[in-house]
Amino acid sequence: MSEPLRILLIDDDARILRTLKAMLRDCTTFQTTNPLEANTLTRQHDVDVVICDHRMPAKTGIDVLRDIKEAHPRAMRILLTGYSDLKAVLGSVNESEVFRFINKPWDNTQFKSLITEAGHIARTAPVIARDPLPPNEHDRARAQVGVLVIEDDTTVQQRLREILQPYYKVNFVNTAERALLVMEQHETGVIISETQTGRSDLTALLKALKQHHPHIATVVITERTNAQTAIELINEGQIYRLLIKPIRMGTCRLSVDSALGRYWQLKQNPLAARRFTAAAPSEHGLHSPLRLPAALLNRIRSLPGRLLGAARL
Amino acid sequence: MLSVIVLLLLGGCVWLGFELLQARRASRVLRAGQTETEEELKRLQATQSQVIHTTKLASLGQMVAGVAHEINTPLGFVKSNVEVIGDLLDDYRTLVKQYDAAVQHCLQPVDLIFGADKSSLDKLVKHVEEARRKLFEARTNLEKSPLLKDAKELLTDASDGLGQLSSLVLNLKGFSRVDRDGMDTMDLNEGVESALMIAQHQLRDRVKVVKHLQSLPKIRCMPSQMNQVFLNLITNAAQAIDGDGILTIDSKSDGKQVEISFADTGSGIADDILPKIFDPFFTTKPVGEGTGLGLCIVHKILKGHGGSIKVRTTPKKGSVFTLTLPVDGAGVIKPVAAAAIA
Repeated sequence: MSEPLRILLIDDDARILRTLKAMLRDCTTFQTTNPLEANTLTRQHDVDVVICDHRMPAKTGIDVLRDIKEAHPRAMRILLTGYSDLKAVLGSVNESEVFRFINKPWDNTQFKSLITEAGHIARTAPVIARDPLPPNEHDRARAQVGVLVIEDDTTVQQRLREILQPYYKVNFVNTAERALLVMEQHETGVIISETQTGRSDLTALLKALKQHHPHIATVVITERTNAQTAIELINEGQIYRLLIKPIRMGTCRLSVDSALGRYWQLKQNPLAARRFTAAAPSEHGLHSPLRLPAALLNRIRSLPGRLLGAARL
Repeated sequence: MLSVIVLLLLGGCVWLGFELLQARRASRVLRAGQTETEEELKRLQATQSQVIHTTKLASLGQMVAGVAHEINTPLGFVKSNVEVIGDLLDDYRTLVKQYDAAVQHCLQPVDLIFGADKSSLDKLVKHVEEARRKLFEARTNLEKSPLLKDAKELLTDASDGLGQLSSLVLNLKGFSRVDRDGMDTMDLNEGVESALMIAQHQLRDRVKVVKHLQSLPKIRCMPSQMNQVFLNLITNAAQAIDGDGILTIDSKSDGKQVEISFADTGSGIADDILPKIFDPFFTTKPVGEGTGLGLCIVHKILKGHGGSIKVRTTPKKGSVFTLTLPVDGAGVIKPVAAAAIA
């Protein structure tokens, strides 16, 4: 890389800042213990990557990163926290749309290579517009792109049918196997999924799909919430939204609408999808024993590009 | 006549026998009922001790979660610093090697001087000049290098972090008193401090803690139970405050008794609920979230120590819980069975 990456570090503990600065000696770092300065610093130095603590007295990391997302969308956002409570995890998906959620203590080697990757993406991948699609464009997207619901609870299916059927081309399935059948036949832009159906885990499927097709937007609607699973879904599944049951009509519609918009924009601008690259599933992950069968994985890999809309990269 | 008497007697006998049978049956029913009641009572007692055990586990879980969170930050930078210092030392070693090479370069002309003729002397002078420059540069690099200063700074932070980690562990030990059991003398202010540390993750960035802790005479008590009282009251205050607020803790003593109060700027307690808050199993939280035993246990522990607890509350403004304990309470202390609540 020609010029060293510009990184902004925000933590109310100055010792963490000194540590990160020393760890990132090869980069140009800017730092502050005052989260209220973050937005200005990000723009002033045109930073590539922002690494932010969550719990700070003046402002939470979720709020800091959400504001940076609006003001300087070019920067890749990483939350670094010692407190992985569910509220923080939900906020980092739904509000600040972080690239990674990293727990303290971290591993230097992995963290450094992650930051390098993020910086490279920030410099090379284009930014997509954050505004909602214009109405006519949105109608075209709705007419063309399918929404796939993976859920085995019939009551929930019924509820989603009521909310979504009038607006989208929706398909309902209850297994990973059937989900792939649908995806092999219809262009699918948004997947709405539980983390589990019956006794089988769906997170491995969601992660694998994201690995190979990063432009599909995943909305996870779950009743079994666990911070660790959610963090893995952020890092290895780059999920677009994480909603907790019971399903609320307004939130659900909004999420699916903006997910569809995101898919549509990535379809026009496939290079931007790199901004949503998922990490390779970790060996120590909660669900690592639940590997996807090789046959299923192959089918995910070879999902036809024509149906996915975007050119395969 | 005789036959009538015999008939009457016979009738009486049959009637008596019937009554006897009835009575036996009734007593059997009664006995069965009694056994049933006894079993019910046993079941209830078992449930209660199970619930008490669950609260104990819940407070243990809360403690572990709180401390784990507090540990992550210092652990994060200490771990990283140690690794980075290793890298810095490697870089510094490279600089020293470069300096060494420059020194070697300077020494070469000395050998040459011995075998020098006039023509090579010019070359020699040039070499010496070059060598001086190189030596000066390497020396400056070494002197100017921030590597050692950075390493020193990271080490200072690391040792600072390790200090923080050990005080956390010490605090934890002090809180649970795993190394000591039963009665001991205790400075209640220390208990308040360690309970605050355990509850830190519920308070941080939301609830400001104001402490007015005057020095207190040490009192004889069961420290682990007192700590549980403090943790319970602090947790309650944190939960009563929705959003930002202040928790004020005052402690004072007149030599005869110790008084500690916990005042929060939370939701307060409604009039119709107030009389019930110390009742066992009373809770305003949704099913499954609160055991309704927190304040009941607080009350029991304080009573067991010859003390008492009072509450003053204004709905929407907040509540003040004030506990009082006798300083010389050795005679009165009847601590609650440790198995039940400790």
